[in-house]
Amino acid sequence: MTDVDQLGVTMETGLKARTASVWPWISTVARLGLAAVFLVAGAAKIGDLAASGRAVNAYQLMPFEAAKAVGAMQPFLEIALGLLLLIGVAVRLSAGIAAVLLVIFIAGIASAWARGLQIDCGCFSKGGELGAGQVPTYGWEILRDIGFLVLAGILLWRPRTRFSVDGILMGTTT
Amino acid sequence: MTRPNTNKKTPPSRKANQARERANARRIVEQQRAAERRRKVTLWTTIGVVLVLVISGLVGYGVMAGQQKDTASKLTTPSVAVDNGTAFAVGTGPVTIDLYEDFMCPICHEFENASGATIKQLVAQNKVTVRYHPVAILDASSNGTQYSTRAAGAAAAAAEGGKFIAYHDILYANQPQEGSDGLTNAQLIDLGKQVGLTSASFADAVNNKTYDAWADKATETFSQRGYNGTPTVVVAGKQVTGAHGGLPGPTDLTNAVTKAAG
Repeated sequence: MTDVDQLGVTMETGLKARTASVWPWISTVARLGLAAVFLVAGAAKIGDLAASGRAVNAYQLMPFEAAKAVGAMQPFLEIALGLLLLIGVAVRLSAGIAAVLLVIFIAGIASAWARGLQIDCGCFSKGGELGAGQVPTYGWEILRDIGFLVLAGILLWRPRTRFSVDGILMGTTT
Repeated sequence: MTRPNTNKKTPPSRKANQARERANARRIVEQQRAAERRRKVTLWTTIGVVLVLVISGLVGYGVMAGQQKDTASKLTTPSVAVDNGTAFAVGTGPVTIDLYEDFMCPICHEFENASGATIKQLVAQNKVTVRYHPVAILDASSNGTQYSTRAAGAAAAAAEGGKFIAYHDILYANQPQEGSDGLTNAQLIDLGKQVGLTSASFADAVNNKTYDAWADKATETFSQRGYNGTPTVVVAGKQVTGAHGGLPGPTDLTNAVTKAAG
């Protein structure tokens, strides 16, 4: 009966290995990449929360007090999410939250673009208005965020990754 | 698992069947256990992630609120400041020009070079009151020395000493390069001496950062009013820009003032 058991396991892993041995690695790269994006974005802003609030206020989408609160919470959220992705805990949920945030960022940039605002997106910096002669780079910023969204999409679709807390807790071989 | 039972034919086969069934049953139980474990892990990691994110957001809010309280407690508003204590007025003319500048901002320097003389002329002709708002939005551009805030605070101290515009001008004449360390406090004090700010109170204010919290407040007011960049030039409540939303020149300025004067 040990033979039967082992045979079953071997067959199962063999099948998985053939169809999905590459995906955990691709997902791992996506997970670590997305983690880096959020960690870097949060770290760039966390040193000056007032500036982060001003950057949010520059979008002119909410009252100043609300923008201040959002600007203060955002870098902390980004770093927390970056760390969660880095260690790989509840990857599908974390990736889903990352995707929601990215969609909000893209919508914000698109709306600034549509309204003709002359601002720096404040994505990886403290943001604010651009100086005279500086041209907004909304198109590029949106494209970049879509790239990050693809990373989140990969994780939503295939959340199993190597070197993750999820993997350890689930007791899976990955 | 539901294979046709060919029992009672050969005992060894039966025995093998039983063994297989037992193995199958065990595997099903194991799978159920594993599924149960996955469910539990998913549930708890979900709760964990949500908690971590909620707490991090609250921490961010708390840190910001703490910093605000700190700023409020340290706030010293120069007695000569106007516009809710956020600006320094030069001139007494009927049309108000609000000028938001960061002492680190090269384009502000450019604006001063191009339009500074025109502004002084408008003041001399008693056509305008200029309200200078020193703001600090480029603190990230001085390698952590927060030159924008220090310079704005020093300018407030200069205003308190009755030398705002002279100090303002000499700061632009000696503007450090954006991205450099900026001027040191000693240099800020030295420039003060050159315009007649020789008292110890000016030097103390610079060294003790007396007006740094005030600079924070002035910057917040600037943002609250919907402005993001420097220089922001506002004539009679209306923002003035040059062609294509660029930097306004002397002509844009005088036109706006003439129009506002009616």
